[in-house]
Amino acid sequence: MEYKAPAEAYTGVVREITIGNGKKSLKIGGENMLPFHFFDQGSNPNPAKFALEVLDMEPQDWPEHLTQPFKDVIADPVKWAKRCEELGADAVFLRLVSTDPAVKDSSADGAAAMARKVAEAINIPLIIYGSGDDKKDAEVLPKVAEACDGMNLLIGPVQKENYEVVGKALLDHGHNASALSPLDINLLKELNVKLCKFFPAEKIVIDPESAALGYGMEYSFSLMERVKQIGIITKDNMTMMPIIADLGGECWKTKQAKENKEQGLLWEGITALSLFLAGANIIVLRHPETLSLIKKTTEVK
Amino acid sequence: MVIIGENIHVIAQTVSTAIREKDAKVIQDLAKAQAEAGADYIDLNVGPMKKDPEENMQWLASTVQEVIDLPLSIDTMNPVAMEAGLKACQKRPLLNSASGKTDSKEQMLPLAQKYNCNVVISVITDKGMPPDVDSKIESIMDTVAYANELGIPNEDIWVDPIILPVSTAGEGQRFAVACLEFIKILEDVLPEIKSTVGLSNVSNGVPNELRPLLNRTYLVMLDRNGLYSAIADPLDKESMNLIKGKVPEIVQLIYKTMDGEDMDLSSLSPKEVEYVKTAKVLTGENLYSDAWLES
Repeated sequence: MEYKAPAEAYTGVVREITIGNGKKSLKIGGENMLPFHFFDQGSNPNPAKFALEVLDMEPQDWPEHLTQPFKDVIADPVKWAKRCEELGADAVFLRLVSTDPAVKDSSADGAAAMARKVAEAINIPLIIYGSGDDKKDAEVLPKVAEACDGMNLLIGPVQKENYEVVGKALLDHGHNASALSPLDINLLKELNVKLCKFFPAEKIVIDPESAALGYGMEYSFSLMERVKQIGIITKDNMTMMPIIADLGGECWKTKQAKENKEQGLLWEGITALSLFLAGANIIVLRHPETLSLIKKTTEVK
Repeated sequence: MVIIGENIHVIAQTVSTAIREKDAKVIQDLAKAQAEAGADYIDLNVGPMKKDPEENMQWLASTVQEVIDLPLSIDTMNPVAMEAGLKACQKRPLLNSASGKTDSKEQMLPLAQKYNCNVVISVITDKGMPPDVDSKIESIMDTVAYANELGIPNEDIWVDPIILPVSTAGEGQRFAVACLEFIKILEDVLPEIKSTVGLSNVSNGVPNELRPLLNRTYLVMLDRNGLYSAIADPLDKESMNLIKGKVPEIVQLIYKTMDGEDMDLSSLSPKEVEYVKTAKVLTGENLYSDAWLES
């Protein structure tokens, strides 16, 4: 008798989300199988994408081997973003770190104007994150959404403390929301349930929080794995969204990455590869050499 | 189902103050209210009772027995308080609780034998809390065999699988399902054995207003699987109505949900929908979040 390998067929489908418009757009999600279960039924129409991170101010605590590729443009976020595009990033991830009250507490209007300039200057999609200070983000992100009206960007982090005000602004100005919760599947679902009361599930990306290798990465890994399983296998409406792995910053904070370049690249690369395997749909990196390393690794046929 | 009324509990400020100040009325009112509400046992949960365990326990047991005629469940990890409590009981008490840990085997189980009482034995051992059904069964079989050797028969043993909060990130629902499964197969592996659970722990960490719904639904589910008794709040009328068969339509809905039957939620009342959604969380069918009723 001929042996036939069993192949699972799944019922859940991760929502496909478009970031940006026209030529400046990319799609993430859309898969109806578990990550890399090519032996099962289903497909993944949009393999994971990779974004490079840009800050809205000159970085204060980056090691020299990380700033080096951007040395000549690092004081100008627009030029820096263009450099990322040249270096082959699928998207630019702009972090408005200067707005953080603990950093420069710069104004929401200034940040919004900067965000728009960057969005207009590049020919790839833009992801914009506030500083992560939920109160300040509640001021900054609505202004950013308004300044970039209609551009269909991915904006976050939307958190449980500010989802109402930030979510509403993103909705009014036609953007996608990146919903961040602190490494907990139950809290992640709760935020999505609450956000979905007024915000379309088709425009939500899950940010489950990404920890670096050696600093809790395995928690992020199993959480992402679980989000995919619950979405794909049990068809939970509130977890069938693509996942963003915002990991570059976490990796380059580590002592190991700061110590020397090779170690840093590997730290970021291994973390990225791991979360890629866990099913992350878009991955945020800092070093362009990590980008080429990971692209080379993941594009092997 | 046998309900062990949980309301005399030292974690409640009023109770701990009443014990300290020997305020009989507070304690007696709580005991009477539970007895009137249909409790079968009154639990006296005094915690570790570090101060004057003998005298306090003795006072508490006799104070309660002055006004009610129910057996007591003596709930303490202090063996001295335990013995004083068991000694003071007029009816055959419940020793709550022993476990498979060495010190419990050496100090608590012999008391159960000495006072010829019923005894709660949890699945915990020196290795800790067994996480899944198989390891829970394995642990309890060892401890029950040990108790049998001491002369405690299966019918006097009330096994506690230890319920954990369903809201525990990621894991809680798996625990809830494991306890359901454990109760279901317990009779087959240990004939004549009884069972009990600390029910309200299932909803620990959940927003307060939502806790009763989880407790009630889980109680019905455990009841269906053969649970013999529960340490629970008899003053929660709805729970009592559910297990006494006064609201069979809700019970049926919970059973159908357990069986994975597809139901048209739009044909149900809001209250019925809440029970179905809650049961789906407790069977693990729907991922838990504090907003489980809202999606």
